[in-house]
Amino acid sequence: MSNFWFLEGLKKGRKTEKFPKIEPVEPPLRPSLMKGNGEVECPTDAIVDGKWESGKCIFCRRCEPEFQPSGDQSIFKVKRTEKLLRKSIYLYKLDSGTCGACNIELGTIFDPQFDANRLKIFMTNTPRHADAIVVMGVYTEGMAEALKNAYEAMPEPKLVIALGACAVSGGILGKRPEFPGEIDVEIAGCPPSPYTILEAISKARGEA
Amino acid sequence: MQHYKFGQPEGRFIGNYKEYSIYSSSISKTESSESAGKNEKQLAPGEFNFYYGPSTGGLIESVGFRITTPGETIVNVETDTSYKRRKVTIKGLSVDDAILKVERINGFHSASHTIAFLRAVEDASDILPDPKVEKARIAALELERIRSNLEVLKRMAEPAGFSVPVNQIGYLREKISRIISEAFGHRFFFGSQMVNGVLLEPSNISKKVSIISGEFSRIFHNIQESKIFLNRLQNTGTTNLTEMVGPVARAAGMKYDARLDSPSIDYSELGFNPVVRTEKDSFGRFMVRGQEILESCSMVENLDLTPLGKIDELNFKDGEGASRIESPAGDLFYYVKLKEGKIEDVWMVSPSTLNVKAFEQSMKSNLFPDFNTNWEGFGVWASEMEVDLE
Repeated sequence: MSNFWFLEGLKKGRKTEKFPKIEPVEPPLRPSLMKGNGEVECPTDAIVDGKWESGKCIFCRRCEPEFQPSGDQSIFKVKRTEKLLRKSIYLYKLDSGTCGACNIELGTIFDPQFDANRLKIFMTNTPRHADAIVVMGVYTEGMAEALKNAYEAMPEPKLVIALGACAVSGGILGKRPEFPGEIDVEIAGCPPSPYTILEAISKARGEA
Repeated sequence: MQHYKFGQPEGRFIGNYKEYSIYSSSISKTESSESAGKNEKQLAPGEFNFYYGPSTGGLIESVGFRITTPGETIVNVETDTSYKRRKVTIKGLSVDDAILKVERINGFHSASHTIAFLRAVEDASDILPDPKVEKARIAALELERIRSNLEVLKRMAEPAGFSVPVNQIGYLREKISRIISEAFGHRFFFGSQMVNGVLLEPSNISKKVSIISGEFSRIFHNIQESKIFLNRLQNTGTTNLTEMVGPVARAAGMKYDARLDSPSIDYSELGFNPVVRTEKDSFGRFMVRGQEILESCSMVENLDLTPLGKIDELNFKDGEGASRIESPAGDLFYYVKLKEGKIEDVWMVSPSTLNVKAFEQSMKSNLFPDFNTNWEGFGVWASEMEVDLE
């Protein structure tokens, strides 16, 4: 029995995709880069004067067919990179006020299809060991202090990552959390797909 | 309201909403209780309070626990899910605008929340869903249940360091997300549900789910051969409460399932029979969820689904409606009052609220190492408990 699970694991073979070196195998349409033009009514003002703002979009389909999802997963903004974190990056997640979907998608990057560990991306249970704080969800009174404390407990250099429409712009439900520092990476999507999360974290480390 | 009425308690208890108690067939005024509020527990010699959470890597959401312990055994647990309490404004919105917010009350169980809300709206407006729509909704609910149960099993096995099945189950969970994305246009069903309508492209769902069923069946069988892991689950987190819902209740011998006793969604043609076990512990909850994955796969495989698209705009009548459906965590109740096409009032009773009490009771006399496995087995979501619908 001691070798049973080891052999079971081997039997399944390699399941991990080669993303981000090559294109995603099964990219979701929503969320992905929206392309189109025209005046449409958008509940989050993600489309104003025919221009689409990824961080506000909740991919509700109301702008379709004038705007169409392209499948392109590169819907993130990296405002500052930290090359020192190329060797490894430890993420500390903070749920400010999510619906749970962002939490699940962040966890999915460690599932076999994505295996974030192979890209030297890890999770840590304490902000003391974290290189980046990943903030998800809208502002809530109860988590405001926890966010501030976690940020202050992190050693330098540190990155602040806003994950999902709620954290980037407030989305459809409220206002975005009060970040104690500058946001370095904005990952769009409601929730962002695991492909987008992986690529954004890689780019935040200054990788090509 | 066709299936609910205000009056005396009828049927099993589902939960409370403000001054009302919800039962499986009625809504009644809650009798005022003199013993409101928690009594501060006196510490015995050697005991101390240990606070775990609200933000820590071991938990998927922000939840706090006050654990009373002399060091190893857990004497008492109080759960505080209020940290991430959100205010969600729904009253005064059109039904379409309200859907955008209801979908995001619990994103992981979004199909359940949206469909329960829509059935309440349809009830208020005397709209009977098209049979094709009803089948598509069942497909959504069962796919969501498969994914949610896979996630719970994965998270139960994770604290035991059982990494091969954890990864194998995680792989299947992601496969289900991709099936949902392809069929419903979004990995969490957002934007796919509407009044008497669903956006569905069901190509090959049945075949893909059949493959997942086969793969899961093998993993589930293998896990049951792993005595060391099963020993971690057996006699851990035993609960004797009777006010529980969903898989937690079914693992304690109670045949509670809205698919069986709620007319909101008709499962009668599917020959559905709930999985019920009598262990009352983590092992029972593990087994119920595992067997339900296979049961749900079988249902999805046998559904005759057809592509469905957008429907014409509907006119809504004024009125009250209520619905109750079986979310992956248990009975989920919605009440809606419509006036001139807008939401005048809305209530929601989540299954997590009842089950968290069962968790607290089950943790007493258990050991710290079993805390996370037991918590995950209850499948509680703070996001659906801590929401003010305004």
